[in-house]
Amino acid sequence: MSLRLKNVVKEYPDFKLKIDLQVNKGELVTILGPSGCGKTTTLRVIAGFITPDKGNIFVADRGIDHLPPHKRQIGIVFQDYALFPNLNVLDNIAFGLKMQRVKRILREAKARKLLKMVHLKDYGHRKISQLSGGEQQRVALARALATEPRLLLLDEPLSALDAKLRKGLRSEIRRIQRELAITTLYITHDQEEALALSDRIAVMRNGKIEQVGRPREIYDEPVNLFVAGFVGQANILKGTVRSIEGGYVFFNTALGDIRAPAPRGCYPGREMHLFFRPENCTIKSRIPSEDKGNYIQGVVAGCEYLGEIIQLEVVSRDSRFILRLRGCPAIAAGDPVVFSIKADNCRLLPATR
Amino acid sequence: MFPESTLPGRKALLYLLLLSGPLVFLFFFFYYPLSSILQGGLTDDQGRFTVSRIGSILSDPYYTGIIWFTVKQAFLSTLLSISLGLPGAYLLAKYDFWGKNVIRALTTIPFVLPSIIVVLGFVRFFGNNGILNRLLMGLFRVEEPPLRILYSMKAILLAHAFYNFPICIRIVSALWSRLDPNFEDAARSMGAHGFRLFREVTLPRILPAILASSALIFIFCLLSFAIVLVLGGGPRFTTLEVEVYRLAKVSLDLKMGSALALIGSFLSSIFLYLYIRLQRKMSFAEEITADFERKRLSALLKEPAGIFFVLYLFLIAALIIAPMAAVVYTSFLKRSGWGGSTAYSLDWYIRLIFTSNLYARSILNSLFFGFMTILFALPLGTLIAYLGSRREIKNSSILESLMMLPMGVSSIMLGLGYIKAFQGFPVEITGSWYAIVLAHTVISYPFVIRSVSSMFRKIKPSLLEAARSLGADSWQLFWHLELPLIKGALITGAAFAFAISIGEINATMMLAGPQTMTIPVAIYRLISSYNFIGACAMGTILMAISFLTFLIIDRVGEGIG
Repeated sequence: MSLRLKNVVKEYPDFKLKIDLQVNKGELVTILGPSGCGKTTTLRVIAGFITPDKGNIFVADRGIDHLPPHKRQIGIVFQDYALFPNLNVLDNIAFGLKMQRVKRILREAKARKLLKMVHLKDYGHRKISQLSGGEQQRVALARALATEPRLLLLDEPLSALDAKLRKGLRSEIRRIQRELAITTLYITHDQEEALALSDRIAVMRNGKIEQVGRPREIYDEPVNLFVAGFVGQANILKGTVRSIEGGYVFFNTALGDIRAPAPRGCYPGREMHLFFRPENCTIKSRIPSEDKGNYIQGVVAGCEYLGEIIQLEVVSRDSRFILRLRGCPAIAAGDPVVFSIKADNCRLLPATR
Repeated sequence: MFPESTLPGRKALLYLLLLSGPLVFLFFFFYYPLSSILQGGLTDDQGRFTVSRIGSILSDPYYTGIIWFTVKQAFLSTLLSISLGLPGAYLLAKYDFWGKNVIRALTTIPFVLPSIIVVLGFVRFFGNNGILNRLLMGLFRVEEPPLRILYSMKAILLAHAFYNFPICIRIVSALWSRLDPNFEDAARSMGAHGFRLFREVTLPRILPAILASSALIFIFCLLSFAIVLVLGGGPRFTTLEVEVYRLAKVSLDLKMGSALALIGSFLSSIFLYLYIRLQRKMSFAEEITADFERKRLSALLKEPAGIFFVLYLFLIAALIIAPMAAVVYTSFLKRSGWGGSTAYSLDWYIRLIFTSNLYARSILNSLFFGFMTILFALPLGTLIAYLGSRREIKNSSILESLMMLPMGVSSIMLGLGYIKAFQGFPVEITGSWYAIVLAHTVISYPFVIRSVSSMFRKIKPSLLEAARSLGADSWQLFWHLELPLIKGALITGAAFAFAISIGEINATMMLAGPQTMTIPVAIYRLISSYNFIGACAMGTILMAISFLTFLIIDRVGEGIG
């Protein structure tokens, strides 16, 4: 079922949520943002735990605003799992079906099927306290899916787990979500998680959605400095538009001119920010004399070996850049260095944050 | 992040409806009797408002003497209880040792052991003809009992200390064990040690707990009834509670009794207020600290002070066990003729079980009242705790403290209120079984609230939201999730209600008639007629019942702080 938030507004003394969002049928959309940006509030509004001041929520184009939480048919996986400690694994999963007064045999069969799906086949009679964090998370997912809800909401479901487990579980969540083709809204502050499992990402800040798009769009084409900085690492350089030629801008910075694709609404003299990703830089041994653009000279301030890549911190005047390089050039801290960025890998963003 | 819930008006109405049940109950069986005491104490014979009754009490040396004695004995008892409890609190907080769980469990005693048992145990152990004196007489071959403790202030203080020092251990050790020992280590590294270290570093930090337990013990001693009635005696050793009882039951002067009860409750409410303030302060301290590692007791034994602590442990164990053992021992005796020799026998038990008499009847009465009290107090307390835990209800904490008020009113006063308020009712209240059950309910349901509401608060909000999102309506939520989660607290609450009902003597003495005599009242009658063997047989049965409820509380033990 599709989900739509239309002009939903919820105001608090120190915070205002104002959101428009569409999640298509079978799609997994992630709300990504720092803590306190309103992502959990959004989820709670959808679930019906918070009544918005304005706006409407639609599931499959039907308004659900008047429905109390227990009639919304929305499955939720909570951050702390919220498994019922008084029930065993099987009864936890079957709880929703029991509320619907499904017969014991039927609901246990269904619960067993779901246990199998989350690879916990023989765990049915265990107590919740006997499960590891990852296992509890799987049970929580199975429980949320047992009633075949119209929507699945996941509130930072992996944040309490360690890094290794997180990666395994997130692909499993994605597999199950695809299998069931259930419309899903996933909440996280972890950009890697969001990039890895979303059909689309909505980046949120201060109660507003800054940008919605496919992971690659969000990563490569951020609409502003906040999105650029929040989704991955960003190199930023201030400057002014000098001239526009054939779809490209010559961008004047303190470190020389850089060529970048012309964004909409740019004009000579406009102050903007240049943005590029660390992995789009390449090291050059010297500046080719014939080419004048897209080279930056600096000194290596730090060098970190990260296995498959090497990460450099380069200082040039007042600016600092992060470079991620494949292969291992023999570079050490203190070395002078020249690096280049392809014009097509550069983006100009509005100067305001 | 932004805790808030939806509040449809219909739900608010439902809560209001649910609330009206407890409110009506409390109005009729607590506030109305209370107001009749106010009215009795503050009006003259024509029904006009006057403070002359209060004034005449305050200018009469007989009554001021009683007030003064009440405060004095409470103060000294508190002092004694605290000094007896502090070393125990230290040991429990800082050391692990064999039998520690037993000692910790014993600190529940004041809440479940009926006061009449303490009285009986003291008479049998410390009395002129008690076991201790007989032992000493045999040991030193003297003809006269060397210890004359009973019927004096000494006896009152000792019994109060016995009854209340576990409260000090319980409250102080709870805070002490959560204090970060690094503070003390830091102070030690700066040169503080011994008593200075305790006075300047440790004491200020455990002081809130000491003061809170002091205030609580002070209230208990101020309102103590059976202990003063039997172990004190005579106008010299009479407290306000005993005097109110005497005025109501002997002099039949209900108005004077009311005026005196008002003065008494004024005193106790001051200390109740202090206790609540201090407890709030402590719960704050609890939040910022954690549980720390404890040392083995053997480490302490290597220090010179260790001997003192071992002696202390033996002393408190003896102090707790000896009087109770004296009761059980005496119950198996038989006296042949006046002043004749004693022999072992089961006579009294056989009489209680196989013949029907008032005493056998009192055992059935007590059990019946106990179960009826559970039946009333459990739903009442649970409902109030449930409503108090709803975030949708504004000022739920005010509501809860209003409902907890019966805890601060003495049960003698409650009994007096019933007599006064229901005087001239078409249905005779005094002496009826329902008067006693209602009074026991009012006295015990705050304990149910305490036990249950702390459990309700422990339920994570996300659990409730999860159940809601899985399709549970309010009723299903309560039935399938909240009720199972508070089950332990319900059992504890029921056990407390039962224990309180079965041991209650104050209000019961005011209200019971011959047909509604309970075990504690029967014991009191038997003591008054110097039939100690009978009293001890009844006492042993009462102890056995109390011990069972104590076991339930200790095993299930959820939700009582």
